[in-house]
Amino acid sequence: MENILDLLAKFWSNTGFALADYRYIIMIIVGIIFIYLGIAKHYEPLLLIPIGFGILIGNIPVFKGLGLAIYEDNSVLHYLYFGVTSGIYPPLIFLGIGAMTDFSTMLARPLLMLLGAAAQAGVFITFLGALALGFAPNEAASIGIIGGADGPTAIFLSAKLAPKLIGPIAIAAYSYMALVPVIQPPIMRLLTSREERLIRMEEPREVSKKEKIIFPIVGFLLCCFLAPAALPLLGLLFFGNLLKECIVAERLAETARNSIIDTTTILLGITVGASTQGDVFLTGKSIGIFMLGAFSFAIATASGLIFAKIINLFLKVKINPLLGAAGVSAVPDSARVVQMVGQDEDPSNFLLMHAMAPNVSGVIGSAIAAGVLWSFVL
Amino acid sequence: MTGFEAISANDGWAIALLGVSIVFSGLVSLSLIISQLPKVLQLLEKSKEIFQKEKFVISDNYSEQPGCNKIQDDLDINEVIRNFKMLTSWIGEPFPLPKLLTTAQQRGLVRPHSTINTLLKSGYIIPDGKGYFNWNNN
Repeated sequence: MENILDLLAKFWSNTGFALADYRYIIMIIVGIIFIYLGIAKHYEPLLLIPIGFGILIGNIPVFKGLGLAIYEDNSVLHYLYFGVTSGIYPPLIFLGIGAMTDFSTMLARPLLMLLGAAAQAGVFITFLGALALGFAPNEAASIGIIGGADGPTAIFLSAKLAPKLIGPIAIAAYSYMALVPVIQPPIMRLLTSREERLIRMEEPREVSKKEKIIFPIVGFLLCCFLAPAALPLLGLLFFGNLLKECIVAERLAETARNSIIDTTTILLGITVGASTQGDVFLTGKSIGIFMLGAFSFAIATASGLIFAKIINLFLKVKINPLLGAAGVSAVPDSARVVQMVGQDEDPSNFLLMHAMAPNVSGVIGSAIAAGVLWSFVL
Repeated sequence: MTGFEAISANDGWAIALLGVSIVFSGLVSLSLIISQLPKVLQLLEKSKEIFQKEKFVISDNYSEQPGCNKIQDDLDINEVIRNFKMLTSWIGEPFPLPKLLTTAQQRGLVRPHSTINTLLKSGYIIPDGKGYFNWNNN
């Protein structure tokens, strides 16, 4: 009888119930909220559901030494997490993004690329804010890139510069990307007048196939000569786009934008979620990162809008300044938000395709910003 | 260390200023190149046209030579056929026209509807009598 009770006590001491504390419970609740937001509210479900479930996985209290937890060297999750820490997954996601992105609206009106550039000011202003809060330069750079609103870029840079902050930075980046429809509209209405929001854009010109094929090659060479540290991200982005546009490699493009990106998204989401263990995640630094994340999105949105208004001072045919908010590279959500805010004023004003131009240029801009920050703080 | 002191101690101002400038310069340069791309391509097309026309100059009335425009048209139609044959190799033969049209639209081919119409009228694409279409190999 005593043996049975001993065995039972030993078994109980190894269960999650015995090992749990309040931090795991909080994180499990956070994970459930993410899953709810993804399924019930359709907020970025392809990201929030894997991340949310990953949070649940990572916050099951386990006995250390059994090779179960993500931070234990010989665990399955650790091997899968290697793709995050070594920076493999983000470039593969960019390959898929390139294979599904149509750059023609950007090629039709290259001026709108500057709005994507302006929005990257959010990255560097947040970098300053993080330094001011006492973060080290490598941490501040990883936090600043949240303002690029690009999950893979944020994870890539954090993996290189501040691996311990991957969890909170990824959670902050993806959470705010999912909340773009909530964060951006008030800023857009505050910084633009009704007359400005009513501006209609000219129809873009037709872009030839040759331009669409030449662009990824020229874009890759120029951007990577300028910021070689962005090579993994931009190289795969432009490669994926070339596969799409050249037509002859359609099956490769199909694989990149379906199987590869889906597989990588699953593995990235679940392992990033699992890395946010309560004892590692619930710290003062994480709260600081979350606050700075919201700040970075707001500043990036405002920078794009203000720059669009500045450009209008020099243009005979004005652009709708709402397009500046699409420079925040949460593709295609921020472009959809521009469409939505524009249509609130005039339901017949279709801004979505025009907004895709700064939106996709923001992806390029945030990757360049990541490369620049990496080379500065190395 | 926090505040402005921390920023200055870590060269924050310089990094931020340079960083924004570099990102801006990169995208400005790219936008300038992209804006000139249609002109460069047009120039190359014109040079190709001139080169093709010069090959057939044998008299002052060379521009009325039926061969010149036909060759240029043949080059254009060959490229169009090549592009559409790549799509049909993916769809499979015989192929339904709506699928060919949708696929051409998705792949960003220019004016797919009128191009397919031209291919049909010119006899490059022929119906198989069962609602599908094939390439005319004659």
